[in-house]
Amino acid sequence: MASSAATRTAAKAVKPIFSSDLQEARRRVRELYRAWYREVPSTVHVYQLDISASQCRDKVREMFDKNKHVTDPRVMDMLVIKGKMELEETINVWKQKTHIMRFFHETETPRPTDFLSKFYHGHDP
Amino acid sequence: MLSCLGCPTLSRVLSTGASRAPVAMAAAVASRAPVVSTPTCSQNSMTLVRYNSTAQQEKPKKTKFGPLADQDRIFTNLYGRHDWRLKGAMKRGDWYKTKEMLDKGVDWILNEIKVSGLRGRGGAGFPTGMKWSFMNKPSDGRPKYLVVNADEGEPGTCKDREIMRNDPHKLVEGCLLAGRAMGARAAYIYIRGEFYNESSNLQVAINEAYAAGLIGRNACGSGYDFDVFVMRGAGAYICGEETALIESIEGKQGKPRLKPPFPADVGVFGCPTTVANVETVAVAPTICRRGGTWFLGFGRERNSGTKLFNISGHVNNPCTVEEEMSIPIKELIERHAGGVRGGWDNLLCVIPGGSSTPMIPRHVCDDVMMDFDALIQAQTGLGTAALIVMDKSTDVIRAIARLIEFYKHESCGQCTPCREGVDWMNKMMWRFVKGDAQSAEIDMIWEISKQIEGHTICALGDGAAWPVQGLIRHFRPLMESRITDFAQKQQAHA
Amino acid sequence: MLRLPTLSRALAGAAHSKGSIPTSNNVRTSVRALSNLVEVFVDGMPISVEPGTTVLQACEKVGVQIPRFCYHDRLSVAGNCRMCLVEIEKAPKPVAACAMPVMKGWNILTNSEKTRKAREGVMEFLLANHPLDCPICDQGGECDLQDQSMMFGSDRSRFAEGKRAVEDKNIGPLIKTIMTRCIQCTRCVRFASEVAGVEDLGTTGRGNDMQIGTYVEKMFLSEMSGNVIDLCPVGALTSKPYAFTSRPWETRKTESIDVMDAVGSNIVVSTRGGEVMRILPRLNEDVNEEWISDKTRFSYDGLKRQRLTQPMVKDASGQLVNTSWEDVLTRVAGALQGVQGSEVGAIAGGMVDAEALVSLKDLLNRLDSETLCTEEIFPMSGAGTDLRSNYLLNSRIAGIEECDHLLLVGTNPRYEAPLFNTRIRKSWLHNELQVALVGHNVDLSYSYNHLGESTQVLQEIAAGTHPFCKVLSQAKTPVVVVGSSALQREDGAAILKAVSAISQNARASSGVEEGWKVLNVLHRVASQVAALDMGYKPGVDAIRKNPPKVLFLLGADAGCITKADLPKDSFIIYQGHHGDVGAPMADVILPSAAYTEKYGTYVNTEGRAQQTRVAVTAPGMAREDWKILRAISELAGVTLPYDTLDEVRRRLAEVSPNLVRYDDVEEANYFKQANELSKAVNQSLLGAPLVPPQLTLKEFYMTDSISRASQTMAKCVKAVTEGAEAVDEPSIC
Repeated sequence: MASSAATRTAAKAVKPIFSSDLQEARRRVRELYRAWYREVPSTVHVYQLDISASQCRDKVREMFDKNKHVTDPRVMDMLVIKGKMELEETINVWKQKTHIMRFFHETETPRPTDFLSKFYHGHDP
Repeated sequence: MLSCLGCPTLSRVLSTGASRAPVAMAAAVASRAPVVSTPTCSQNSMTLVRYNSTAQQEKPKKTKFGPLADQDRIFTNLYGRHDWRLKGAMKRGDWYKTKEMLDKGVDWILNEIKVSGLRGRGGAGFPTGMKWSFMNKPSDGRPKYLVVNADEGEPGTCKDREIMRNDPHKLVEGCLLAGRAMGARAAYIYIRGEFYNESSNLQVAINEAYAAGLIGRNACGSGYDFDVFVMRGAGAYICGEETALIESIEGKQGKPRLKPPFPADVGVFGCPTTVANVETVAVAPTICRRGGTWFLGFGRERNSGTKLFNISGHVNNPCTVEEEMSIPIKELIERHAGGVRGGWDNLLCVIPGGSSTPMIPRHVCDDVMMDFDALIQAQTGLGTAALIVMDKSTDVIRAIARLIEFYKHESCGQCTPCREGVDWMNKMMWRFVKGDAQSAEIDMIWEISKQIEGHTICALGDGAAWPVQGLIRHFRPLMESRITDFAQKQQAHA
Repeated sequence: MLRLPTLSRALAGAAHSKGSIPTSNNVRTSVRALSNLVEVFVDGMPISVEPGTTVLQACEKVGVQIPRFCYHDRLSVAGNCRMCLVEIEKAPKPVAACAMPVMKGWNILTNSEKTRKAREGVMEFLLANHPLDCPICDQGGECDLQDQSMMFGSDRSRFAEGKRAVEDKNIGPLIKTIMTRCIQCTRCVRFASEVAGVEDLGTTGRGNDMQIGTYVEKMFLSEMSGNVIDLCPVGALTSKPYAFTSRPWETRKTESIDVMDAVGSNIVVSTRGGEVMRILPRLNEDVNEEWISDKTRFSYDGLKRQRLTQPMVKDASGQLVNTSWEDVLTRVAGALQGVQGSEVGAIAGGMVDAEALVSLKDLLNRLDSETLCTEEIFPMSGAGTDLRSNYLLNSRIAGIEECDHLLLVGTNPRYEAPLFNTRIRKSWLHNELQVALVGHNVDLSYSYNHLGESTQVLQEIAAGTHPFCKVLSQAKTPVVVVGSSALQREDGAAILKAVSAISQNARASSGVEEGWKVLNVLHRVASQVAALDMGYKPGVDAIRKNPPKVLFLLGADAGCITKADLPKDSFIIYQGHHGDVGAPMADVILPSAAYTEKYGTYVNTEGRAQQTRVAVTAPGMAREDWKILRAISELAGVTLPYDTLDEVRRRLAEVSPNLVRYDDVEEANYFKQANELSKAVNQSLLGAPLVPPQLTLKEFYMTDSISRASQTMAKCVKAVTEGAEAVDEPSIC
């Protein structure tokens, strides 16, 4: 208990990245989500994606939901920074179509799990 | 030895030998009890056993060495004027009272040798008495052997061959005595392949000795069994190195062994062995007969005895002669070899101890004495006491280059510094002969010779390094001037 | 200086002393030992060593390594390279550390000015006539001369003369000679005469013209010849098959085990880009020291030829055609589902790993079949394989060094187990081992007492009427080794009975302590001991007598069973890595991995379990053996309960725990019982002489599916029969 208290005080003492508290961090997340949400149609257009904007928005939501368990404002800030970088690259077309489509795992085949499938599959154990 | 025939010393030996014998005999009987003989000497040997009355005088310190009196010569048939067979040898005193000497026991023989201060005559000059006594450890069941090194291959050296050709019985008797002293079962005489006459005479002598019961089973009736075998080499200089010689006797390639173990522990056929030079062994009987103190009376302290000197090169009468140790080099050359060609002033340098020793220039030769210590002081060595005299007509660089070529040819190739270094030095030396080199390379060859010296298994590396060092030590200006001459000539051409 | 970390040494020592519990006893022995030790100093550090220790060994004890070329631990001391010269304080000349025994109170200066000067001088001389062709030299990167000249040499050359060149010699298809690079260390000469026991190499000429060679051009006729490649400190002797193929820093090294014979030599497999580039020995004092045989070293090119890379089935026309795993496994499973009990049988070959053996056994057991055979025969009457000590090399390979009388029966260890033979020779050379042989008069590289080749002799020795019995009864530590080749005969049981009796008599007369083992069996193939441990039936008699409908050949390439032995409609499955003897008669071929391509457990003739490791992936669609069997079992509806290697090994441990105790030998000592049981054998000896199948060197090279596929081995056979010049290759440099 003592140790966890110590870490808590230590965490409080640590310098924040942007947000001083959780509310502020949440706000930043919401802002980023909104920016993505607005950007999706133009992305579909610019990159000539073969998927609809709603599919794309679903993916954006999925990506945000993946980190919804995070409550540490500093981690949230860092994730927001990364998300902003990703967004900037997308807006400026520093990416190509394939980089966008990687979020959708289209070409990946699932790895075999049972012995026989693994055996047919190859040398991989 | 055609050159020796006109030697004045020789005729003196012949004339005085006969005339003075009775006098010496009488003096000996009168002065003190003979060392080995009993009062009932046979007539035959009585005429031959001589005692030196001059050398035994109670002088505190000798200052003058040589010339050796005829009655003090050990090798009385050095020039082959007499019969070398058993009969003649016995006339000259060989095999006289050998049985009695054997009967006096090991300790007596060893003591006489130790008292005499005899040092090995093969070049290294190790005290013989001590060397032989190393063999007297209690036996572990292995037989012991005496090996006689008759592989005389050192350029300039020609003493052992004279002994074997003209006085082989001295050697055979020496083998018996030395063998007795170290408890050896047999002696192997390893004789150089080129010595055909020598090995033939030696074999005849051994056969005679066997037939007369002097060696073999119950040698001389002393109850001691001793065999002598002659083994002919195939003519390799390196086989004169004691361990290479042992290898060669065993039928292997003549390549030196690592020491330790020393031959006294593991020698020929894995048994304790002593390797001794022919001259060392051949003088032993006479030392025992006449007493160690007699032998000690010659030469300076720690350099006692008489020695065969071979004088070759630019002298008027090249010869092999027995002389007292510590005789001044100048006297040796002038008295026995008829002086340097063109007079003493025409002398350039002398290699005093066979090709392996560094040369000494004239100014050193003026007063240096021919013994172990004096020559060490002069930064050379007595070696085999084979003087190679060079007068001023000699191209000394070429002479040394030729010697290095000899060593290059005779290196066994076993260990690296000798195999690679001597070949390298040879290549450089022949460039020095022409002058086709940089003067900095003189320092380089000096360094290379130092890298060889002391880093090899046997002493051949040292022997090859020393002549070069001697040359650089004394004739560096000559080498440098030749280099500049060559450079100038090259420039003139271009 | 090459210094070993002294700290870790000290720690190891401390840990060791902590482990020993009876401290008082320990102290007493160490005090007694100290009394006859010699104290010397290495660079001022005091150390106590036994008298007779050389300077070099004393220095190694304190972790100072002296540079050397000619010195080698396992060879006699030559002392000719002079690289190991060190200064001794107060001694006039530097001494050769490799040959000079230490004297009391010596201070060895390993890094003094004089020592360094001497090394530099020797290095300069060595490099004087060395061609310095490192860029095109195969030794580059693992060259002692390179390393030591970097460490101890001068930074520039003064040698401006012409260099010496030496003619290269053709000493066979395995060893490439570039004699100009030779520094005359004579390691190869000493190896040939001391370890290999052939006086083929020597020095000719003298001085700077000295050369290493065979004098007249001939092949270096030894089954151990490849080791001179490792011994050569420079690039004078390099591997011919490996020439110009890769550099040591490019290759990946995998520690593995050899399966060419039953010794289980430890090897390192060097690979690059999924290809085996070469095989090198790995140090294991108990097995192969640091040598390996030529078959081990050079037959790796057989791993790239004649390989089965695709599953195959026989089509209607009787032609084997490629197919998929799905197809082939369904067919096999279908065939297995249709049979029960003894209608299915299996034969395991000589290079099968224990994992495959246990999977196959489990599979067939689930089909109610016990018809699991090995190709090698071992007599089953008497104790048979029930007592483990009956079929092992109980004395162990290293144990030969403690034995004083050795009786070999019907074997030619020189070609059946070259490294075992090397041990015998070592012991014969250094420990005065007396060897006697019943069997064909073969050249064993050491002298032995040939007692005759008829079985009559064996009987006489067993009965105690032979004159040799007197000699054997003098023995303090006797060892009897019977070759498995002798047990292949009809009268194998009788031979084993006789040998067992001889051993028992020898043991009784020697009065040796209980732990000493006399009876030994020298196997020829790598899989045999593991198969017998698992309860495989040795020999294919069961199959011949009762031909099964479905026959599973697991790497069985010795040709024990032919199509003619089986009914017409029988279904033959071959699983293995080479299209050798077994594959052509099969209806279905399952390609599997060879020993460099799998994790496999092999038990050598001593009973020592060792494992191979994956060096390269199996070619094409080949799979590891146990996985194929596991897949078949699933499709056949009798799924084996293991999916991973660890699970298979757990199963191995269940069957026989010693199989997974790697690098350990399980003791087995039931000779008395075995001898009692063997008395029940009433087979009589045949009159035919005991002649092992490999008599000369040419029969050594190609004995199994890998070496039969190897071109290098084929060249060796040709060179041995027709002379080295028959396989003269175009010289590349």
